[in-house]
Amino acid sequence: MDFQSLTTTVVGDYPKIPNRPKQAKHRQAMARFAKGEITFEELQTVENEVTIEVMQEQAEAGVDIITDGQIGWEDAQTYFAAKLDGFEITGLIRYFDSNCYYRRPSAVGRVAWKKPITVQDYRFAHDNSDRPVKPIITGPYTLAKLSLHPAYDRFGDFVLDLADALNHEMLALQQERPILIQVNEPAITWHKEDAEIFAEAMNRVMKRVEIPCALYTYFGDVVGLEDVLKQSPFQIIGVDMVWGKANWELITSDSWEKTLALGLLDARNTKMENWDGIFEQLAPIFRTIPKDRIMINPSCGLEFLPREVAFAKLTHMVNAVKKHRN
Amino acid sequence: MPALQTTTVGSFPKPPYLQRARNAYARGEIPMEELEKSEITATKQVVALQEKLGIDVLVDGEMYRGDMATYFAENLGGFTISGLVRSYGNRYYRKPIVVGPVEFKKPITVERWLFAQSLTKKPMKAILTGPYTMMDWSFNEYYGTREDTAMALAEVLHLEVKALYEAGARHIQVDEPALSVRPEEVGLAQKTLAVVTDGIDAKFYVHVCYGDFQKIYPRILNLPCQHLDLELANSRYELFEQFKAHPFTKELGLGVLDVHTHVVETVEQVKERILRALEYLPPEQIMVDPDCGLKTRTWEEAKVKLEAMVEAVRQVKKEKHLT
Repeated sequence: MDFQSLTTTVVGDYPKIPNRPKQAKHRQAMARFAKGEITFEELQTVENEVTIEVMQEQAEAGVDIITDGQIGWEDAQTYFAAKLDGFEITGLIRYFDSNCYYRRPSAVGRVAWKKPITVQDYRFAHDNSDRPVKPIITGPYTLAKLSLHPAYDRFGDFVLDLADALNHEMLALQQERPILIQVNEPAITWHKEDAEIFAEAMNRVMKRVEIPCALYTYFGDVVGLEDVLKQSPFQIIGVDMVWGKANWELITSDSWEKTLALGLLDARNTKMENWDGIFEQLAPIFRTIPKDRIMINPSCGLEFLPREVAFAKLTHMVNAVKKHRN
Repeated sequence: MPALQTTTVGSFPKPPYLQRARNAYARGEIPMEELEKSEITATKQVVALQEKLGIDVLVDGEMYRGDMATYFAENLGGFTISGLVRSYGNRYYRKPIVVGPVEFKKPITVERWLFAQSLTKKPMKAILTGPYTMMDWSFNEYYGTREDTAMALAEVLHLEVKALYEAGARHIQVDEPALSVRPEEVGLAQKTLAVVTDGIDAKFYVHVCYGDFQKIYPRILNLPCQHLDLELANSRYELFEQFKAHPFTKELGLGVLDVHTHVVETVEQVKERILRALEYLPPEQIMVDPDCGLKTRTWEEAKVKLEAMVEAVRQVKKEKHLT
C-alpha cells in the first residue's frame, strides 16, 4: 500500500475531556455511571458522542490517518485483558515513568481470545469519520510486560500465548479492511534483552495478516533492535524521536526499506514544537528515505496533554508538514 | 528514638463539608475566606483524630492542598497550571508548567504549619513536595534539561525549608514519590535533596512510594535524610530480603496500611507486618505508618485503618516489653 508523502497520523489515545468553558461530558457521564445514575447504554451513548467529537478534532487539525481516540479505554492494558480469557484485573500501578496509573492485569489462567474486542469500536469509528481510521491493539509483549502472570512459569510462554490470542483479534480486524492495523509496543524500548521473544511474538501476532500493519515503539529508543524491526512482518515502524533521542543517529546512519513513522511531536510536554528546527534536522533523513516512506506523528498517545494543547500541537504539526511535502 | 513510634504520611481525606466548600469556591460561589474557614475546621478535626488515636508525630492532613505538586507550583514564581489531564480511571488533575525561572515569592506552608503546631503539644511534621518530583511531574517549557529544572527547584524549596525551620519546625518531610521510577536519576535526586536540606538542623524524612525499590536500593541510603519512609504494604515487603546484603542504615518509615484499597487491615495483619520488620531492624529504628497519604480513602476508612495500626503497635510493644 502506498501512502502520500509525509502522511500525518497519531499514535493512539486522545484526551477524553476538554477544559472550561467546554463541558467535560465524558467525565460527568463516568461519574454518574459510577453512582448508578445512568445506565451502561447511556454511558456508551456519551462515549460515542465524544468519539465523534475527537475524530472531528483530529480531522480539523488536518491529520491524514486518525484513531477513534480510545475514548472507551480506561487504559491500554485492561481494555484488552478484561475481554480475554485468563485475566483478572488487580490494583493500580504506575504506567512507565509517567504520573499516570493503570490497573495491572494478572493472568490467573491460560490466556485466550474469546470474541472480537475492538471490532465494534472500529466499525463505529469508521462509519462516523470522513478520514481513514486505523484500529490499534496493545501488542502482546507490552501487554505481558505490564501484567502479572501467576499462571505461567515462564514469561516467554505468557508472551506467546498473548501473541496467539491477539492474532485472532488482528484477523477479526482484517475482515473490516481498515487502511492499516497498528500494534503498539512501547515496553520493548525498555527491555531490549527480550528482543528474541519479542521477534517471535511479532511473527505470531501477524500470522495470516495480509493488510498493511504498523508496529509502534515509544518512550525510548530502538538502538539494538534494528534487525528485529527490519525483519518483522510490518510495513510501517514507529519510532519515538523525542523520548528516544538515539533514534536520530540510528535512522540517519542506517538503511531502511520499511516506512518509518517518526514521533516528532512531544506528546509528553506542553512546549510547542519548533518545526523549522525539526525539519532542518530531518534533511539528512530525507536524503536517504523517500518522503512517501515517512509518516509524521506525535511521540506517543496524546492523553498526557490537556485537550486544547493536543489539538494546537497537532495543528502545528500538520501545517508544518504541508510546507515540506513537495 | 523510642521504639515503634507512629506517624502518618501527610494527607487525610477531606471531610464532605470541605469537599463541598472546595467545589463551591472553584465555581466562584463562595469567597476564599469562607473556604479557609472550612479548611481550618477540617485541620482541627484531623489533628484531634491523631491525638485521640495516640499517634506520636502528627501531620496537618493537607486540607488546603489539591494535587501535591500543583499546590507548590501555584505558590511559586515561574509556573502556570495546565488544563486537566487524566491520571487514571476518571481522575483528572491540573499539572504545573514551568514557563520561566522558578522563584520563591514568600513562605508557602509556614503559616499553615504554625497553626497546626499550635493545636498540639506533639511534634507536627512540616511536609513539602521535593524538587525531583516537582520537576518530574511538571511540564517544562523553560529549562533545557531535567537536571537544570530540578536544581533550580531545589534552591527554591531550600528557602521554604529554611523558613519552616526558623518558624520552629524540627520534623521536616520531603515527598519524593517520583524517585522510584528512574534508577539512573537517584543521583540527581540525592543532589537536589542535599541542596534542600543544606545547613538545616532538623530531622528530615523522605517519603518514596509506588515503585520498584529493588532497583534503587541500596542507593537510596545515600539520600541526605535520617528517615526513609517507604510504601511497603503494597509491595509485599520484598525489599526486606535486600536488607540482608545491604543493611538498612536509616530510620525506616514502615508502611503497614495499603492506602489504595477499601479493605481495612486487621490488627493481626498489621502486627504480622511489624514483626516481620523486627526480624531485620531494632524497634528504635522503625516508625510505623500507612504506605502513603490517606486522601484517597473516606474519612471512616482512614480512621479504622489507623485504629488497627495503633492497636497493632500497642500490642507488639506490650508483647515485646518495649516502651
